[in-house]
Amino acid sequence: MEIKTEHLKRCDLITLSGRFDSSTAPELEKALRTSMDEGMYRLVIDMGQVEYFGSAAIRALVIAYKECRRWNRGDVRLANTPSNVRHVFELAGLVPVIEMYESSTLAVGSF
Amino acid sequence: MGVEYEICVTSQLSNLSEIADFVSDRAALTGLDERQVFEVQMATDEACTNSMEHAYEGREDGEVRVCCYLEGNDFVVRITDFGRPFDPNNVPKPDLVSPLEERQIGGLGIFFMRELMDSVEFSSDPVAGNQVIMRKRRRKAATA
Repeated sequence: MEIKTEHLKRCDLITLSGRFDSSTAPELEKALRTSMDEGMYRLVIDMGQVEYFGSAAIRALVIAYKECRRWNRGDVRLANTPSNVRHVFELAGLVPVIEMYESSTLAVGSF
Repeated sequence: MGVEYEICVTSQLSNLSEIADFVSDRAALTGLDERQVFEVQMATDEACTNSMEHAYEGREDGEVRVCCYLEGNDFVVRITDFGRPFDPNNVPKPDLVSPLEERQIGGLGIFFMRELMDSVEFSSDPVAGNQVIMRKRRRKAATA
């Protein structure tokens, strides 16, 4: 599992790779929290290299989504979501609620 | 019932990836397709997370057994722990329709298990422990 955060002009680009289960989801929560604590509420998460995204990771994502959108100050948008992960998001009722883009360039450009 | 394959780990969340590899390999070898392998792996991950976080309440020295076998055309995963008895009926169903901002987050693990597998049964016994038995029907004709 790896998380990389890049500070861009209009948003943070958070690139994930590997497995996000209950053991590693707290790291995701921490990374998202760090961006928000620094005052950045426009987040793009590049999911392209994610192998697994379980319910604990979904919880972390939804917590950040709620917090970023409070008072219309931002949003969490996803890029390159693998089809297995998208399937899980559909079951969880997150499609089409969370905006998803085909590439991180498109997602970053949407802000 | 065919041959059973079993992995036994302690109740540390860091063991989840080893369980995932074990179940994915077994599921693929018995002819489940790629999507089904993913679904079995996810349902197993959620069930084992429940054992570790709820049955053992975060204690890391509990025992979690994951056993896979083929029964007819069903790939079966049986997960056993010896922690606190678990009643799935006490877990509220997740809210999947309210605006996301208003949703309470929780109950997704069991929801996913039921959605991703063809059947899920829970049982608790003082001697046999807590068991979850989940079945996935193979789409392909049995060749394994």
